[in-house]
Amino acid sequence: MRVLLIEDDSLIGDGIKVGLSKLGFTVDWFDDGADGKEALLQTPYDAVILDLGLPTIEGLDILKAWRNAGIDTPVLILTARGDVDERIKGLNSGADDYLGKPFALREVQARLNALIRRRNGVTKPLIHFKNITFAPDTKTVTLNGEKVTLAPREVALLELLLLNKNKVLSKETIENKLYSWDDDVASNAVEVHVHHLRKKLGKDIVKTINKIGYTLED
Amino acid sequence: MLKVVPYLADFCKKIDIKKLKFSLCFRLMFFFVVISAIVWGIAGYISYKETRESIDEFFDTYQLALSRQLAAADWSAVSQNTQDVTDKLIKNVENADDDDDAIGFAIFTRDGKMIFHDDENGKYFPLNTTAFGTFVNERLEREGDKWRLLRLYSADGRYIITVGQELEYREDLAMDIVEEFLTPWLFGFIFLLLSIAGLTYFEFRPLKKLAASINNRSADDLAPVNMDNAPVEVKPLIGAMNHMFQKITNLLKRERSFISDSAHELRTPLTALKIQLEIAQMADDDASMRQQALDKLQKGIERAERLVEQLLALSRLEADNGHYDNVEILNWNEICSHLIDEYRLMVKNKTIVLEADDKAQPPFCTGNHILTALLIRNLLDNAVKYSPENARITLKIADGKFTVTNSDTVVNENILQRLTERFFRPAGQKETGSGLGLAITERIAELYHCQLVFANTDEGFAVTIQAKEDI
Repeated sequence: MRVLLIEDDSLIGDGIKVGLSKLGFTVDWFDDGADGKEALLQTPYDAVILDLGLPTIEGLDILKAWRNAGIDTPVLILTARGDVDERIKGLNSGADDYLGKPFALREVQARLNALIRRRNGVTKPLIHFKNITFAPDTKTVTLNGEKVTLAPREVALLELLLLNKNKVLSKETIENKLYSWDDDVASNAVEVHVHHLRKKLGKDIVKTINKIGYTLED
Repeated sequence: MLKVVPYLADFCKKIDIKKLKFSLCFRLMFFFVVISAIVWGIAGYISYKETRESIDEFFDTYQLALSRQLAAADWSAVSQNTQDVTDKLIKNVENADDDDDAIGFAIFTRDGKMIFHDDENGKYFPLNTTAFGTFVNERLEREGDKWRLLRLYSADGRYIITVGQELEYREDLAMDIVEEFLTPWLFGFIFLLLSIAGLTYFEFRPLKKLAASINNRSADDLAPVNMDNAPVEVKPLIGAMNHMFQKITNLLKRERSFISDSAHELRTPLTALKIQLEIAQMADDDASMRQQALDKLQKGIERAERLVEQLLALSRLEADNGHYDNVEILNWNEICSHLIDEYRLMVKNKTIVLEADDKAQPPFCTGNHILTALLIRNLLDNAVKYSPENARITLKIADGKFTVTNSDTVVNENILQRLTERFFRPAGQKETGSGLGLAITERIAELYHCQLVFANTDEGFAVTIQAKEDI
């Protein structure tokens, strides 16, 4: 899951980036509203976390600009103002959910999961595939009922493939979803992760479609 | 009538003398009574005196005329029998007794024998051979009454005619006249007194209404009082109150926005702390991740601490409204030098210089040392934080201005306008800060009737403190 974070406060921005990365998200963080606004126009993010209290550009203006441009990526707004009016204004401007400061990181994670789940049309909190069960909320994977420990990027890859079951994802698409702009991506990184998934969950779990990409097939 | 007394006594007990002193109605009535009594007394005394003189004149003339008539009569034929007959005749006259004090007379022979008198008083008139042809006041032997007597010789020179009138009669008459003259006054006076009591009660109704309308207000209702129908005398009071209400409203508005801004601003560092703590907790066996989170937590706590300190400083500056003690003559050069020494130890790669000689004129010469040091520190701190490596920071005191310039720094014009806004922080700041430093600096400058001027100059970004320009 690749997430765009627009937050001007360095400690909060850094905290969300580090925390969500640890939880298996890929986070691009911008402390400047204008740059962040551009980023969503360039990159296919799964969700956006947008702070409304930006110093030079109104968070709501960015949101409206995106919606006017036809971008329907789910947006979670962060607001320090507790008043109802602002929340309503945010939701009316096209936000999908809001969080009032001070919030916990786990709440950001849970709301992001809910937003992404809703967007992908998955309403059940658990995703089943063959003998694998995946819990998007906790990012836990079980094989035949036994818990399997996966690295964050492996979890992200599995989730991406599960949400796009029976669709073929190119290596480039996977890279885009798995890595932020700050990451150095090795040319064989996706192959390595697929190799690890097969090792941990079974040889046939990920199917390689030659020269196109990877897929999970029922 | 007697039944009223206990009620009146009870009423008097209820009246608080100390409070009465402050009752306008009571004071008006009191002074009215005192002044009226004095005026009444003087008028009464003067009219009594004048009436008395007029009465004397009138009766003296009458007494003289009677004396002349008696002197012209022939008294040789008068005998004791005549006296008796006359007395009897007078006694038969109706109401003769009523006229008792009016006037009396006695006729003496030159050897002192009384030959005729009016029955009532004349017989007691003393014989005095010294005072003739003039009015004298003498006491009669009987009862010691004082009488006004006039003595003349009869026309033939054989008899002494004495005509007299009791002085008390004249005094009583004068008193009666004055009394009759003053009695309507007394009623008028009582009527006026009651009118004053009534009028003060009714005329002070607008004040009572005003008090009631203010009493009935809720604490946050500070709308101006309508003064269209208020008496001219009360208008200044209402005007002053409305002015005060306006000032309180502004103050409340400022306080509320300050509290809400503060609460809002505290949420951000609190969120940062919460998130960094969570990261430290979920780091598991990733020691470097935990360490980084703890370092950031530490930084976040320091930031929150500084924010709280600055909020307190700003709220104190607002609340005290500039009434700071310990005003002394300020040595700007010394304060700047101390601060520069302090910062030079911390910042090795930037140059900080002070441009000022001993005669340099600072923006204000007397003030609170701590506040002035805080003002300079905030400006110096900003210059150090927001200037690039190897920048040159200049503190300059000259011509009633204090300027801090940091070289190689340009601040966007849009941001210049908002620098002193509370909690304003431009985007993309690497340095932590509360956004309150310049708001505090501006507030301190205002206390000393100075203002902050920001400018991008050839030497770099400059902040100047100078006397407020008159608008």
